[in-house]
Amino acid sequence: MSRMGRVRAETTAGWRSFIRRRTAVFFTFFFPVILIVIFGALIRTDPTGEGLFTEPAAYYVPGYLAVVVLFTPLSRMGSEVARHREGSRFEKLATTPLTRPEWLLAQTAVNAAIIGLASLLILGLVVLLTGAQIAFSPLLVPYILIGVICFCGVGAMLGSYTDSQDGAVAASNAIGLPLLFLSETFISLSQLPGWFEPLVNLSPLTYFARGVRAATYTDATTPAVAGVDPALANLGILTALAVVAFALGARSIPRTD
Amino acid sequence: MEAVVEATDLEKTYGETVALSRASLSVARGEVFALIGPNGAGKTTLVRALTGTTEPDSGSARILGASPAAVDRDRLGVLPQEFSPPGRLSARELLAYYAGLYDDARDPDDVLADVGLVDAGGTWYEDLSGGQQRRACVGSTLVNDPDLLFLDEPTTGIDPAGRRTVWRLIEDLADAGTTVVLTTHDMAEAERLADRVGLLADGSLVAQGPPEALVRDHGGSSRLTIETAAAPDAFADLAYPVERPERGRNRTPDSAVVVREIDPAAIGTVVDYLEEREIEYTELSWAEPDLEDVYLTLADATERERTDRLESGDGGDRGGSNLAQSGETA
Repeated sequence: MSRMGRVRAETTAGWRSFIRRRTAVFFTFFFPVILIVIFGALIRTDPTGEGLFTEPAAYYVPGYLAVVVLFTPLSRMGSEVARHREGSRFEKLATTPLTRPEWLLAQTAVNAAIIGLASLLILGLVVLLTGAQIAFSPLLVPYILIGVICFCGVGAMLGSYTDSQDGAVAASNAIGLPLLFLSETFISLSQLPGWFEPLVNLSPLTYFARGVRAATYTDATTPAVAGVDPALANLGILTALAVVAFALGARSIPRTD
Repeated sequence: MEAVVEATDLEKTYGETVALSRASLSVARGEVFALIGPNGAGKTTLVRALTGTTEPDSGSARILGASPAAVDRDRLGVLPQEFSPPGRLSARELLAYYAGLYDDARDPDDVLADVGLVDAGGTWYEDLSGGQQRRACVGSTLVNDPDLLFLDEPTTGIDPAGRRTVWRLIEDLADAGTTVVLTTHDMAEAERLADRVGLLADGSLVAQGPPEALVRDHGGSSRLTIETAAAPDAFADLAYPVERPERGRNRTPDSAVVVREIDPAAIGTVVDYLEEREIEYTELSWAEPDLEDVYLTLADATERERTDRLESGDGGDRGGSNLAQSGETA
């Protein structure tokens, strides 16, 4: 069996396991939808006002997408790793030809499929409910895919270094929430203290948000990086971070007790 | 005969708990080797050390001619003790999933038939009974037709009929040349399946050999058990040693006596003795010593030794004690 065959077997099992957990499926899609309804349709943006949501609706598209690109892999991977560990599934898999990177790749593929569908739903709802005018750039596909790879790696690390499913979910929330709001998603850099900027630059989600905004929001003022178009440059930075996160995530998956 | 599993002086500690203490064993191709021993004796740790899922602190292990970490995993099948696969895959999907991880895999339906789950093939794992779940788990180890199989308590939770299905399966695998290392608390299982048995107690392999040899060397004598309220003193004039039964035989010690070293042909003399002295009894049963006697004798001896060590303040120095024994032997 080739590497692809092993990944396919693991992906198929992971996908079936996910779609048969109806509650998980429902809330995976419900979470971003309710967020768009609350922020986009009820609170609404106010470009002439002050405080939060003062940018046009299209500015916040990366934020809405980040909800699923960040939270779904963190919580799903964290709890999946913990579930595998608690059920001695890693002990079993360690004695099969499946390697840790292959396992993580398969789980990433499942997450990419789920998040791809959720992203389509989000984009549709944002346009429909907020009237956001966005460009449907083909760069959205690699951004979402690479974002998923990056945060699946981080989620695998969270699951590996926490001692239970509860711990993994709590850790993913504790890390995900600050990242979501402090990565130029919903809050622009100008609204944060100047000393905070270096911290914002440490977040992989920042490059996702900047790049997606540059690709989809025609009025965006995202700066170029070393003279390179911001939509491509931020994708490059995100890719580098994803490679590191995936490698560290795969390495962290337990093979022994 | 070629050794498929070879372990030498494996040691493993978790904090202050000694899980393995100089455990050595060798299992030949096609052999069924059963590890028995009390809970916490080190059976699972030994299996993990042999399958590469735990790193021993010292000692060496080789399986199928390679270190556990480097072994060709296509030739290996492992059932962890507390294995819980994805619950919302059917038994057939589960086997197909694990089959998909190997270069050369069997048809999942054939494996379902082997473990007696053809009718439950379409049922989600989480909806199977406990015994069916365990059989599905056993099936997951067979999808790659392994040369070497490690089964950590394969029949735990399985009803007697299902247990016999698994036993027959293991016997067939062994007949076909598969080497099997299993752990069990079921002495009948070990006695029926194993070519050789290793008794682990307190992290050490205190005895190993064919079941009949272990029974001969450590099982004691045959016994005639008399269900009676009479004390052993009432049998003082009987020509055989009489004692209370050992613990663990499903009876309270003061509800029976055991007559040792008695031939079945001499049971009549005991009946005459009981009637002459009007000793009331409800049942007589005669038995040869078996593996459970070996287990109780050796596990008790190890437990007593450990208690003595603890009482003498030497409890934390087990490894040192064994090394000293090794030095004396050398």
